[in-house]
Amino acid sequence: MSIIELNDLCKTYKVYQKKEGLRQSVAGLFRREYRDVNAVRGVNLKVEEGEFVAFLGPNGAGKTTTLKLLSGVINPTSGEAKVMGFVPWKRDNDYRRQFALVMGQKNQLWWDLPAQESFRLHQHIYQIPANQFQKTQDELTELLDVKRLLNQPVRELSLGERMKMELIAALLHSPRVLFLDEPTIGLDVVAQHNIQQFLKYYQQERKITILLTSHYMQDIEALCERVVIIAAGTIQYDGSLRGILNRFSNVKRVTFQLAEGQSFEALDRFAPIEELQEPKVQFRVPRSDVPKLLSGMLDAKRVVDVTVEDPPLEEIIAELFTQAAKNQKDSSPEWLGGN
Amino acid sequence: MKTYIQVFLTFARNSLVRDLSFRTNFLLQCVTSISWAIMNWAFFKIIFAQGKNIAIGKGTGWTENEFFIFLGTVWIINAIVQTFFMPNAQEFSELIRTGNLDFALLKPIDTQFLVSFPRLNWASLANFFLGIVVVVFYANALMHDAVNPLSLSVFQVLSYIVFIGAGVVIMYSVMISLAATSVWLGRNQNLYMIWFYLTNFYRYPMEIYQRGVIGWGLWGFFSFVVPVLVVANVPARTLAQPLRESGGNRWENWLILLLFTMALVSLWVSRRVFRWALSSYRSASS
Amino acid sequence: MWAKASTWWTYFRVSLEERMVYRGDFIIGVMMRFLPFATQVFMYWAIFETLQANEQPEGRLTGEIGGFTFYDLIAYLLLVTVTRAFSSMPGLTSGISNSVRNGEVKKYLIQPIDMVGFMLIQRVAHKLVYYVMAFLPFAFWFYLFRDCFTNGIPGVEIFAVYLLSLVLSFLLGFFLETCMGLIAFWYLEVTSLTFIYMLFNFFLSGHMFPLTWLPGEFEWAVQALPFQYLAYFPAAVFLGKITGAALYWGIVVQIAWVFFFFLLSRLLWHRGVKRYSGFGG
Repeated sequence: MSIIELNDLCKTYKVYQKKEGLRQSVAGLFRREYRDVNAVRGVNLKVEEGEFVAFLGPNGAGKTTTLKLLSGVINPTSGEAKVMGFVPWKRDNDYRRQFALVMGQKNQLWWDLPAQESFRLHQHIYQIPANQFQKTQDELTELLDVKRLLNQPVRELSLGERMKMELIAALLHSPRVLFLDEPTIGLDVVAQHNIQQFLKYYQQERKITILLTSHYMQDIEALCERVVIIAAGTIQYDGSLRGILNRFSNVKRVTFQLAEGQSFEALDRFAPIEELQEPKVQFRVPRSDVPKLLSGMLDAKRVVDVTVEDPPLEEIIAELFTQAAKNQKDSSPEWLGGN
Repeated sequence: MKTYIQVFLTFARNSLVRDLSFRTNFLLQCVTSISWAIMNWAFFKIIFAQGKNIAIGKGTGWTENEFFIFLGTVWIINAIVQTFFMPNAQEFSELIRTGNLDFALLKPIDTQFLVSFPRLNWASLANFFLGIVVVVFYANALMHDAVNPLSLSVFQVLSYIVFIGAGVVIMYSVMISLAATSVWLGRNQNLYMIWFYLTNFYRYPMEIYQRGVIGWGLWGFFSFVVPVLVVANVPARTLAQPLRESGGNRWENWLILLLFTMALVSLWVSRRVFRWALSSYRSASS
Repeated sequence: MWAKASTWWTYFRVSLEERMVYRGDFIIGVMMRFLPFATQVFMYWAIFETLQANEQPEGRLTGEIGGFTFYDLIAYLLLVTVTRAFSSMPGLTSGISNSVRNGEVKKYLIQPIDMVGFMLIQRVAHKLVYYVMAFLPFAFWFYLFRDCFTNGIPGVEIFAVYLLSLVLSFLLGFFLETCMGLIAFWYLEVTSLTFIYMLFNFFLSGHMFPLTWLPGEFEWAVQALPFQYLAYFPAAVFLGKITGAALYWGIVVQIAWVFFFFLLSRLLWHRGVKRYSGFGG
């Protein structure tokens, strides 16, 4: 049995539609118009124990909503989900003791108190035995290098340090499943890297299951074998990061460096030119046309160097998102807040 | 149970640490709430100073000294509510607005408990002590009354304390239910105001409402629907006029029954409202 | 000139709209205001009952407290609620002091707009929305207690003076609280000051009880301070408790107070801004 299973999960919100203008606001006092927003529309997914899965998608795609459904914070409109055999939104205490949710944009630590105090509160709430609590806390603060900050009020910590503390708070009870919602948002490169390293190490060490959403490709490239692309509330792709290229990109970039004295006239007879910067010329051609282009160019010109490469991943994914947004007719991309 | 006590004590301790780290603010809050109470007292002092026979209602027994016991009781209950529940109810509605309620929902512990107690406002406890001083002072005055001295037994004092406890349960239930409405109403800045206006009714002896259609309507509403009238009336009455009119007027017993029934019912209702609110919670992002 | 007027008009409209968005809160807020009034009525009813001679328990209440019969008192408290609807400025002082504290006030230094002027427009807009929403509840209460106005509605002259004094009480409340907020330029913790203001307001404005109930020793404080113009004065004018020369003298004094706090607010603003930019915020 998979550790996480989603069947046709749907979540629809009603959103109050605010009207422009004074007259409309007066009318709004008495009657309001609502509109349905389908944040998640029929998600099917299976995750095995020990997997590290990334959710990728544009703002408003339903990533966060899915994580919230899985943490039992909100109830679905329809569909089913099981995590470790529990239905999340029943909020069973046995379930809640075994997972954690970390949100990069929200914090749960007491703002005016040292993180240590919040940790101690967690100890009592999760009923962690004192010696185990101490051991876990030592280990985590050691790994994340924040031991010396334990007794400083949280409000005095930097964003990166605070995020580390949030992670520790979430991991104190050694959850089997961890949901991470944009854990590196707003962090500088160094802090981002530290957190990636930590997550990678921790996941490999403990073999826990992690679902992660992030905007940063680096996070996903560094951490996840498996990527689930969500756009417009449905899953568009589920597989490896490399696989995205094979599946969605049948285009290659071919760059030639020509020898000195070669003419750059009328090169576009071979294929559409992407970029021309003497002595280099770059073509963009369908994969199947690559051999023809190569032989044609090699016959006609004196070529010093050739590279054949995939377009950047970000570009493919951005294209994918745009496509998904186009396909989706009845809901709009700028729905209330979330992503 | 042990978990809950431990968590509560951690909450209490953390709040105290935080309150004391803003010392000026803490003192200022103490002074402010004490001043409000004294203003309240002075207001009634002014009214009672207008004539010799002034009382709150004819034949109700709420003359000056008895009434000030009532007032002191209101302060005690108010102080408890403001120390333990007010900051949390406000925080709760803020948690709903910001979506930070998510974190409470994740914890393997009763969510209503977790939301009800994290922040204690220790400064508000100042009025608790002031209330006790006032109650003791005026009870003492009554006990040395030349004409009709009051005699108090240990049992009466104990029941006074128990009744206050039951009253506090009612206040808590009303408040948490009110705060839970933020789930539907969105921004609920008026929460404190609504609370203030609703509880305004409990600050007076219930006899004042027992006249006219509107009066009896209000009396019924605030006795049975939002049962705040019994909150201060039952304990204050127990202390200030314990069975003084021994002849026939035994509806006190009724009130005591009402107090305990309402405490249980309102607690149950508050749990229902709370769970209902959670099921409508939609978790705002960022 | 035109450009300025249109800027102000836009701001006025925006303030109106801003006020209308949250209907639930808003309507509840307006309705709730009358609840304490109801309890007061019942409390005084119970109190006046004790003054009643024994033979007529159910009849009209005849007793007087400090020159007010029960009916006078209800009329008075209703009228005071009306004045308070003009003169109270919830959140004004704290709003100004917060914007000084968190540096939001810079916006008024950079843009060619006058902060106090804009706040005034905003308040006028908020108050207008309030009156529209509160009109029916007020009408209902006045109707319910119409018998309490034993002198009927005052004549044109008194009524005109009454209206004038209401508008003046709005301006007085506005400029007074603005001045307190502007003190934040020198002294950031305005909360304690607000509190002292509330304390004085409670006892000396007459919104809790008629000022004639105060012990005689406080008479000079009532006369020397502007608080009575925030609640007592307009109500007393309406009830015909102030007549003749005293009436006009009162209006003159009220105008003088408005003028005083207006000038003070200009002074505080200019000095404060100078100090603020001097210290670099």
